Amino acid sequence: MSHEYIPLSLRKKLFNKEIKKHNLANILTHWFNVLSWLLLLPTGLGILASPRLGLVPEVWLDATRQMFGGTANLIKFHYSVGLLWMFVLTFNIFIGFRKYFVSFAGERMLLDKDDIEWLKVKPLQMMGLLKGKTLPPQDAYNAGQKAYSYVVILGTFFIGLTGVIMTFSKYIPWKWLVQWSLPVHFSAVGAVFAGVIIHIYMGAAFPEERSAFFSMFTGKVNALYARLHHYKWYQRKLQEEDDWEERVLAEGRELRTKEHAAEAAGD
Amino acid sequence: MATNTKKRYGFVIDVSRCIDCRACLVSCKVENSVPEDHTRIWVRDLGVEGEFPNLKQTFVPYNCMHCEEPPCVDVCTSGATYKDPENGLIQIDQEACIGCGLCLPACPYNVRYLNPETGKADKCNGCIQRVEQGLQPACVQTCVGDARTFGDLNDLNSDVSIALKNAKSVQRLATDDVDTGPNIYYINGDVMQASLLPREPSYASAETFWRKVAVPAVVAGVGLSFLGQAVFFAKQLVDGEKDFEE
Repeated sequence: MSHEYIPLSLRKKLFNKEIKKHNLANILTHWFNVLSWLLLLPTGLGILASPRLGLVPEVWLDATRQMFGGTANLIKFHYSVGLLWMFVLTFNIFIGFRKYFVSFAGERMLLDKDDIEWLKVKPLQMMGLLKGKTLPPQDAYNAGQKAYSYVVILGTFFIGLTGVIMTFSKYIPWKWLVQWSLPVHFSAVGAVFAGVIIHIYMGAAFPEERSAFFSMFTGKVNALYARLHHYKWYQRKLQEEDDWEERVLAEGRELRTKEHAAEAAGD
Repeated sequence: MATNTKKRYGFVIDVSRCIDCRACLVSCKVENSVPEDHTRIWVRDLGVEGEFPNLKQTFVPYNCMHCEEPPCVDVCTSGATYKDPENGLIQIDQEACIGCGLCLPACPYNVRYLNPETGKADKCNGCIQRVEQGLQPACVQTCVGDARTFGDLNDLNSDVSIALKNAKSVQRLATDDVDTGPNIYYINGDVMQASLLPREPSYASAETFWRKVAVPAVVAGVGLSFLGQAVFFAKQLVDGEKDFEE
């Protein structure tokens, strides 16, 4: 949070102004991801019955098997949803919504100097240190979100890759590849999920990010939130608004000049 | 060895009666559609022993021991390999097997293989499809020397129990180091040879990494993450929320 002083009247005004942050492609993909995780995580854990691993409680192993009518069906469901998840994600990112995702990666993910500073200061502040220090201004996503996005992208890549390997293990001639897919799949899910816990808390419960939560439905955040949390992005948005106005006015002036010229010629 | 299953199906094999004709291998292959280059069952040759003219040669029929404490069941990722609670046979739910092959090195008797046609683990299933119809397993039915018997070791009147009772000697392929409770009893001959004795179960490096590194790391990571958000959530509930601070 910025320590900049903003009078209450301005806060109220900004609070009621909406700025578009997410396009429909991102919103739909996000909620499709949520649905996939809700179906895949519980069923994936349900498959892991190995007593040597001793990870998943018996009650969950039994519940999932009974829900799907046996281990084979449980695995088939996990495989099917997993393949659908990977197909839709791959299609959206590389074909369907390509223009959104490519620009997204280019503009919103790279870490700059402010981000590095943020990563140094924020964790200490969360532990109650350096309270007086001001956080550097952030772009559309703060450095923490950017860092986590790498975990998600890498994690999802490995989850998908190893998942496909295991689903089609019959056609894989190297048994070690199938065997190593198990812990890699598991670890990648673990890494993303550890972050998802924070992500859900920040998105759904943390008061300072309330606006971000609703933006995953409407695509819009309020200007106060944008200014306090994503100052650089907010400034750019304002600049875009100014530029737009400037352009429209310029076009208007040009039109008027032409009209005047025409009138003058008519006289 | 203590058993928890109602029945305890197993084999009693009279090695003095085996002539290495390998009819059992053929009938097993046919009955269970075992692919070429693979088998669920073997006859091990201990070689010629003794000094001429006092020579002997022992042939040892060999297949899944349907252990009481099977390492293959313990290591199976999806629970596809299980010990049947009714009859004690170790079975593989072919549709639930994910084909990872972790069970192959875990078996101290090397009785498992990956079926290239299905991509799944396979081994002796005690011909349960025949036994359920009141028939003997294919290998027992076809054994010309009556070396093989199959039945419920918990039932004192079964063929196997009677054969054990009348046996001159009884051995199981187990050692002080590796005793997984094998349910094949070898009678009337000495089979305790190094080439037949079980080895320690071995585990793929991926499985060891998974169990010793990945699981603790993920549990710690997810646990810490959950704890962290719980602390902040509690703090938020105590502090309350303020308007226009975002």
